[in-house]
Amino acid sequence: MANFILRKAEPKDVSEILRLIKELAKFEEMEEQVILTEKELLEDGFGEHPFYHCIIAEVPQGEQSVEGYTVIGFAMYYFTYDPWIGKLLYLEDFYVMKEFRGYGIGSEILKLLSETAVKTRCSSMHFIVAEWNKSSIEFYKRRGASDLSLEEGWRLFEISKGSLLKMSTKQK
Amino acid sequence: MANFKLRKAEPKDVPDILRLIKELAKYEEMEDQVVLTEKDLLEDGFGDHPFYHCIVAEVPVEHQKVKGCSVIGFAMYYFTYDPWIGKLLYLEDFYVMQEYRGYGIGSEILKLLSDTAVKTRCSSMHFIVAESNKASIEFYKKRGASDLSLEEGWRLFRIDKDYLLKMSAEE
Repeated sequence: MANFILRKAEPKDVSEILRLIKELAKFEEMEEQVILTEKELLEDGFGEHPFYHCIIAEVPQGEQSVEGYTVIGFAMYYFTYDPWIGKLLYLEDFYVMKEFRGYGIGSEILKLLSETAVKTRCSSMHFIVAEWNKSSIEFYKRRGASDLSLEEGWRLFEISKGSLLKMSTKQK
Repeated sequence: MANFKLRKAEPKDVPDILRLIKELAKYEEMEDQVVLTEKDLLEDGFGDHPFYHCIVAEVPVEHQKVKGCSVIGFAMYYFTYDPWIGKLLYLEDFYVMQEYRGYGIGSEILKLLSDTAVKTRCSSMHFIVAESNKASIEFYKKRGASDLSLEEGWRLFRIDKDYLLKMSAEE
């Protein structure tokens, strides 16, 4: 039975956060897409205006992972704004290392996120899930999540930098 | 040709922002779903830590087509974070009053948003569009937008407050 704590991430956790981001990306077979650096994570998360927040799951020294890690899970979130209802908590990344699953760490993280959302007067929590990720979809549905893409037909779009630059430099 | 200017929203714009939010919601047949108040908008947008930013489109008083309205369009956005690439600009609402369409105001707003995204070192701009809104989908695709839901199979989920309360109260 894993003995763990959950806490707010601190600047010293940045290298661990990046490691876990890469592990999760690897699981999605996208590891080489992670171009974010520790420097950016530090500036963006622990500067004057944080662009994200992190919850860290940590185990004591004696219960560390096979490779010697004590930080074994994380959730990255930020606040978004719905023009009809106001503040929302947006869950961006959520991952527990494989060897530490099944102990309720994920549930505890989600519980802490729920508390955070309620305390900061958010109306709900949003997040996206890949439609093939059936086990994650089940995990969330069990906790009351509804698929807005299904119910309301929303599609997520992206205009990437190349097109942004093109638009921003276009003459009138 | 509409004579207009774009500027950052100020606290005094809050009533107009709420009016335009409701107009856009009405167009989506969801006007009664807008529970946000001017007080919320003021606190959330112009306090210590803004939770959203707005660009407003304004016409001079003498060019008003609708009496009393000089603020005739807006875009609401905020910054999100992609764990693989960093900061993104998220376009939440984007609306120009019907009487003022066809003058390129929407294009200018999108241009200003693009400038903002580039200046703040965002890797891209994200937004959602209802799959039924073919005109908007075309507008964005013309400007280089790609449908990530289609390409990558992402689905947007929500856990509502009552379930959040349920989870946070669980032993």
